[in-house]
Amino acid sequence: MKTKFTMVVPTIKLYDYLIVPIQIELDDLTIEKLQMQLLNEISEKKIRGIILDVSMVDVIDSYISFVLSETAAMAKAMGCHTVICKIQPQVALTLAQMGIKLKDVFTANSLEGAVDILNRLD
Amino acid sequence: MDDKNFNDIDININDYDIVLKIKDENDIAVSRQMAKSFAQKNNFSLADVTKIATAVSELSRNIYRYAKEGYIYIKKKETEPDKDVSIEIIAYDRGPGIENVEQAVAGGYTTSERSLGLGLSGIRRLIDSFYIKSEVGKGTVVMAEKRRRRF
Amino acid sequence: MKDVVISRLGELVEGLAKKDEQKKAWEDFLVEFAEVCGKSDLKEKLKAPISNLLDRISEKELSDGIELLHEKLDNFPTVDVYKAIIEALGKKNDEYLVKIAELRDVLSELSTPIIHLWQDVLLAPVIGTLDSQRAQNMAEKLLENIADTRAKVVIVDVTGVSMIDTIVGEFLIEMFSAVKLLGSDVILTGIKPEIAHTLVKLGIDFNMVIIKRDLESALKYTIGKFSKGTEKKQSNTKRGDIDEN
Ligand SMILES: Nc1ncnc2c1ncn2[C@@H]1O[C@H](COP(=O)(O)OP(=O)(O)O)[C@@H](O)[C@H]1O
Ligand SMILES: [Mg+2]
Repeated sequence: MKTKFTMVVPTIKLYDYLIVPIQIELDDLTIEKLQMQLLNEISEKKIRGIILDVSMVDVIDSYISFVLSETAAMAKAMGCHTVICKIQPQVALTLAQMGIKLKDVFTANSLEGAVDILNRLD
Repeated sequence: MDDKNFNDIDININDYDIVLKIKDENDIAVSRQMAKSFAQKNNFSLADVTKIATAVSELSRNIYRYAKEGYIYIKKKETEPDKDVSIEIIAYDRGPGIENVEQAVAGGYTTSERSLGLGLSGIRRLIDSFYIKSEVGKGTVVMAEKRRRRF
Repeated sequence: MKDVVISRLGELVEGLAKKDEQKKAWEDFLVEFAEVCGKSDLKEKLKAPISNLLDRISEKELSDGIELLHEKLDNFPTVDVYKAIIEALGKKNDEYLVKIAELRDVLSELSTPIIHLWQDVLLAPVIGTLDSQRAQNMAEKLLENIADTRAKVVIVDVTGVSMIDTIVGEFLIEMFSAVKLLGSDVILTGIKPEIAHTLVKLGIDFNMVIIKRDLESALKYTIGKFSKGTEKKQSNTKRGDIDEN
């Protein structure tokens, strides 16, 4: 399959779920590209659920949060749910203290938990 | 580089451990990484390291987005060696300034299309003391300080 | 003065203490004293020797010793020595205060235990007065625990707390939403009216926390929830089995 979009993060397809382990620094340009990549993959690979593994991401600020929620909302419009899993505890505390809500996403503390949530949404 | 002067705030760049020019999108990520390792080096708790890095990320993005360019200054402060340690962050720009500072700091207000408007209000909650001065047509200075907690 | 002290060192030390340890302490002090006496800013220079001496002998022994030196040595700078003693004692006192504060922190750490009830459930009983320092430490500790154990449910029991102020209330609410971000559920139990009042005033989101009257009903709820979860899993497997056949 030819992909026309830039892949910034290698993804793994599991059934009709897409696992996205984010292991790079999410600078503003990268996260924009990631959004494009994911939306393209959803439509090309007929993905019904996205699992974003953010265990390696050590800063999530208000803009990254915004783009994650925005991506999830767009995915939802395409019939795809988004689960963010393994947020670092100190990142969760920081987001909570800033009053940032991750709209339109589910959260889980493990990959299995994320798959569980998606299964239950069927 | 000259010392920066913004009305009543004098910033003597020689006082700072880190001076970063923000003019590229890339500089945002660089600044938060620098802030993170600086806080780590000074034995802040993991949660506080993250809060400091996040605050710097917000400040650099505001500079890049609203003022095009500016500076981030970071320094360690202590009353005696290794006593009452804190980290001070200053964001300085000569951009357009903020019309209604109170509104901008209250949270939920943004002039940006894709944004939450929770940057400044968030920083205020993350750190221990916060000061902002902004003048339309002149620029913006934000000062944020986070104290090291004892365990 | 310096020469007098050094030449009479043996005799002075014999008079000052009986045990070898203390004798050594005084000897060290007198040598250091001889070095600085007669110099300007004597009090400042005496601080370190006095402080060292205080580490090795009691306050009573020190004051008796100084009295003896005052009698035996002409021109002994008693006033400067006492000033130095007072400052050294003040500094020691400050150090004690810091130690006590540290101990209090350790105690507060101990009094916010986090109990791994079973596989997927953590219990955080909050006891005593919560200040913002303690609330933050607790939040950090609890979140790390959740991340490590991947607990699905956290029961925060505030039966032992009679009141919280606004700042602590905000920390608690932040802690709850951070727990949700990790993907776990929060059950809050044992809320007294005053605490309920504060939390509601601060705009707690009751979609975010499940409230149960006491620990018992929290546990019942948790068990009920898990057994339902298992049932569903089992039915999933069954469906899978049929598909395979
Ligand atoms: N350095 C700055 N120069 C000019 N305007 C600024 C600056 N920083 C913030 N602002 C203004 O304050 C508003 C709120 O900022 P912030 O809380 O960071 O949220 P956001 O960046 O998401 O809008 C911005 O939308 C912008 O109008
Ligand atoms: Mg901003």
